[in-house]
Amino acid sequence: MARKWQRWVPAIAAPAVVAVVVAGGVFAASASADLPEKSPHDVLELAAQSDVQSFSGTVEQSSDLGLPDLSSVPGGVSTGSSGGAGGGSGDSSSAAENDASLASALELLTTDHSARVYADGSDKLRVQILDQLAERDAIRHGDDVWLYDSSDDTAVHTTLPDPSTLGEGEAPAPVPTDIATPGQLAQKFLDAVDPSTEVTLGADTSVAGRSAYDLVLTPRGSETLVGSVSIAVDAETGLPLQVEVLARGASSPAFSIGFTDLSLDAPSGDLFDFTAPEGTTVTEKPFPTRDELQGDGSTDAGGTHPEPVVTGEGWGSIVSLAVGADASELTSSPVMAQLLTPVDGGQALQTALLSVLLTDDGRVLVGAVPVDALEAAAAAAPAVPAPPATAAPAPAE
Amino acid sequence: MSDFAIETAGLTKRFGKQLAVDGVDLAVPEGSVFGFLGPNGSGKTTTIRMLLGLASATAGDIRVLGQAMPRRLANVLPGVGALIEGPGFYPFLSGAANLRRLDAADGFAPAASRAARVDHALERVGLTHAAGKKVRAYSLGMKQRLGIANALLAPRELIVLDEPTNGLDPQGTREVRHLIRSLASEGTTVFVSSHLLAEIEQMCTHAAVMSGGRLVAQGTLDELRLAGQTRARVLVPAADASRATRILTDLGLPPEPEPAPATPGTQPGGAGLGATSGTRGSANGPLPTPEGHFALPGEGAGGAGVGESVLSAVLPESVAREDVVAALVAGGVRVRGFAVQQASLEDLFVALTGEGFDVVQ
Amino acid sequence: MSSDTPPARIAPAAAGVEAAAPDTHGGAPDLLGRRSRRALGWGFFASELSVLFRRRRTWAMLAALAAIPILIAVAIRVTDGGDGRGPAFLDRITQNGLFVGMTALVVSIPLFLPLTVGVVAGDSIAGEANTGTLRYLLVSPVGRIRLLVVKYAAAAVFCLTATVTVSLAGILIGIALFPVGPVTLLSGDSVSVGESLLRSLLIAVYVTLGLVGLSAIGLFISTLTDAPVGAMAATVVISIVSQVLGQLSQTEWLHPWLFSYYWLDFADLLRQPIEWSSFGGNALLQLGYVAVFGALAYGRFASKDVLS
Ligand SMILES: Nc1ncnc2c1ncn2[C@@H]1O[C@H](COP(=O)(O)OP(=O)(O)O)[C@@H](O)[C@H]1O
Ligand SMILES: [Mg+2]
Repeated sequence: MARKWQRWVPAIAAPAVVAVVVAGGVFAASASADLPEKSPHDVLELAAQSDVQSFSGTVEQSSDLGLPDLSSVPGGVSTGSSGGAGGGSGDSSSAAENDASLASALELLTTDHSARVYADGSDKLRVQILDQLAERDAIRHGDDVWLYDSSDDTAVHTTLPDPSTLGEGEAPAPVPTDIATPGQLAQKFLDAVDPSTEVTLGADTSVAGRSAYDLVLTPRGSETLVGSVSIAVDAETGLPLQVEVLARGASSPAFSIGFTDLSLDAPSGDLFDFTAPEGTTVTEKPFPTRDELQGDGSTDAGGTHPEPVVTGEGWGSIVSLAVGADASELTSSPVMAQLLTPVDGGQALQTALLSVLLTDDGRVLVGAVPVDALEAAAAAAPAVPAPPATAAPAPAE
Repeated sequence: MSDFAIETAGLTKRFGKQLAVDGVDLAVPEGSVFGFLGPNGSGKTTTIRMLLGLASATAGDIRVLGQAMPRRLANVLPGVGALIEGPGFYPFLSGAANLRRLDAADGFAPAASRAARVDHALERVGLTHAAGKKVRAYSLGMKQRLGIANALLAPRELIVLDEPTNGLDPQGTREVRHLIRSLASEGTTVFVSSHLLAEIEQMCTHAAVMSGGRLVAQGTLDELRLAGQTRARVLVPAADASRATRILTDLGLPPEPEPAPATPGTQPGGAGLGATSGTRGSANGPLPTPEGHFALPGEGAGGAGVGESVLSAVLPESVAREDVVAALVAGGVRVRGFAVQQASLEDLFVALTGEGFDVVQ
Repeated sequence: MSSDTPPARIAPAAAGVEAAAPDTHGGAPDLLGRRSRRALGWGFFASELSVLFRRRRTWAMLAALAAIPILIAVAIRVTDGGDGRGPAFLDRITQNGLFVGMTALVVSIPLFLPLTVGVVAGDSIAGEANTGTLRYLLVSPVGRIRLLVVKYAAAAVFCLTATVTVSLAGILIGIALFPVGPVTLLSGDSVSVGESLLRSLLIAVYVTLGLVGLSAIGLFISTLTDAPVGAMAATVVISIVSQVLGQLSQTEWLHPWLFSYYWLDFADLLRQPIEWSSFGGNALLQLGYVAVFGALAYGRFASKDVLS
């Protein structure tokens, strides 16, 4: 009989070995290296002085914003190709296209992605969003910017007007900004560090196999939805490797973006040589002027325009802008209809980190605060003449 | 090293609540042709499966070719050829391809001689002409022959054949018998199971009898025959019948009613079977009649004549047959006929395994 | 296995009971040149493959798989395809015939490939039990572990054959019906016909890898029963269940552990540069499945009573 049960030893051992290997992998990944002591200020300095310009890596983005599943909404799926209309239609880009681009922007923001990022210097960047059986690419090579979507085989080509006049944050403007590198996102938070933020250091951590300091930004006030933002700063280069945003009271991140794999070698040069493949529908799009940005809705915005009205300060600030007739267009789209819930004086969208209020009088209010704070703000500052502007959402964009 | 090709001690197999094999102590001498006899469901196949390591024993020890099974299975089995509970082949392959396949499975069989050995085995069972035919197109008897050919693929020390003549025509049965004899003459031990006594009687040197999972008899055929009951039959005038009955009873041979000729069974029992001692059966024993009875001198074909009766009793070993006649004559009985009937193996088999058509559960 | 002593041979012909002396067990030289060590099993593996590929059923399954790309290509050719409603790949076939094979793989991965693999893997042990050959293989003696390993290896070979069949049939029919030229990858870059064929081969290897875990499950189920149809059906059902679970957001924590998790990620080999992480992840995951279910199959089969 003893021999009989011995036969099952491998069957018991095999899952055990698998478990040990998996657990070992997890431990190895989370094992924090013994890094030299640093103050939060030192780490801020380290991050600020980071000059990593060339790298290639894989970035995972995941979000748990508490939004409904958009995949069931027509035009809201990842491919976003509602009919062959995709390219070319400049002025006729009506509600349908707005809706499609809104949907794909929301999709990028609210679902999990993995993307590969290749950067070589400040003017060569390629981001590949790895979809199942498809891929969305954004390639910048000098003045040339290409957007390519394999799912509908379309490409958009833009030539930047004059690179020297563009600021750091603006460079990849036509690139969907939400798949920016953890570094770009981290930079926005770090730029916004002010006295309303408490900066501390968490335990040393390891991201993409690299040891990192864990910089934790905690809002001091209680008006915001954001509980804390933790940024993993590479101990060696100061490059932010991971950003995690936690909602107040939550224990797991509502939004996180980070490298799972990183190499600091310069990627191969031909990655940035892109020409639209044969048979692709190519749209030539001039670099958007401010006027065009304004007409193009809110999704492509670069984010440095002064027109929105900002009330409150720090983490609790609320951005408000008048969009006039566009508001009804927004609320009528099926994607928005899924997301919005009626509230006093308008319709609102509440996520774990961010709230949006569309008032009946044609204003959009956005902030990392609860919806009732937006309602109060809307009531406090009644309709002002609509300034021609686009939104620049607060830190957690 | 033992001189037994197969030896088991207390071999037991339990299927759920049912004891399929119950404490079997087999001893199969090397070089013997060993008949493993028992009605359907008596546990023959189950025993063979355990011998060959297909099934594990619930209890008991097994030695095959002198080595413990199933521990030394990989060493033992190459020397054993087997047909177990009918043939099993890939219907979509030819007979020869099936044999090559099974030979390739034997890690010890040399690939170089494979084709020659397959041809030889097919020839021995008379399947040479059907070698290229798909097994799907074989008759049951042909499959059975192919199964036997598989057992003969390599030179073996022990060949185990489970009901080898199932589905064979009389010609095939004869050939199998012949084949077994020739294997035995080469020194191979043959262990052959059957539910047919006649088969065993014709080709075996030794036999064991299974009944309801138990081994009820084992030995050489002669030993088994001796283990059967010997009967004495006396033909007397009807007038002397009661006196004769008394005398016989005094001698320890209480007469019983004659069993019907068609069912020559005796009482079940038979403790001490397999014993090796005992007197030889009468050399001048009477010849069996077509009905299976032993005719008495003066007895007609229809049995006792008018005014005569036949008394029949079990003859204990302790009583010499001549004493019986002497006592009867001394008692004034007019003995018209006297015969001693050596039990046939069939009697023994029926006695051991019970009659009836029901499979023993 | 514990000893290398060759099995004893019979005494010379005509030897009687007495002549079959005990010392013949000692391993006297063998007249027929019997091997003194068990062969590694390549001969048996070859025999297993020949049994597998001599069955009409195997050829019928491969023919059905080959019919998938042919049907797709002919349908697109006849209807002039490209109305933009099908999966993304379908659109490209009209531009480049080399996409037929990949499209056919996308179509076959969820059901047809698991179906055929389930049939072969589920049949592996139970089928032998059903034909009655299992007991003869075991008393050959084949060795139970050796039998499991060879059966599993043959099932893996079938996985590769099935995948290559789909891919190759697709490439050939694509070349016949559509223009052929440099292939546009998902990233928008183009590669030469030669490299695209190389990538097709890589994809076939990837898809094969994805199926070996299922084969191990099938092998295990096959040791549980003597009814091959039951084992086949159970294996196919498990592959479907795994994919359904992979679709449910409620079981998201489970997804990376499902053997079907990486199935459609073979497209990572169509990116520039090739994204190897899913290849590695797939290989590791499948290795885990093979280890666990291989061990389970061993545990079951090594101690199983063969009563078929
Ligand atoms: N797989 C099994 N499960 C349960 N009982 C079985 C099995 N195989 C055989 N038996 C039982 O064991 C007994 C002996 O069967 P078997 O050895 O095949 O008999 P024989 O070969 O002498 O005809 C029978 O009563 C049969 O019902
Ligand atoms: Mg039987």
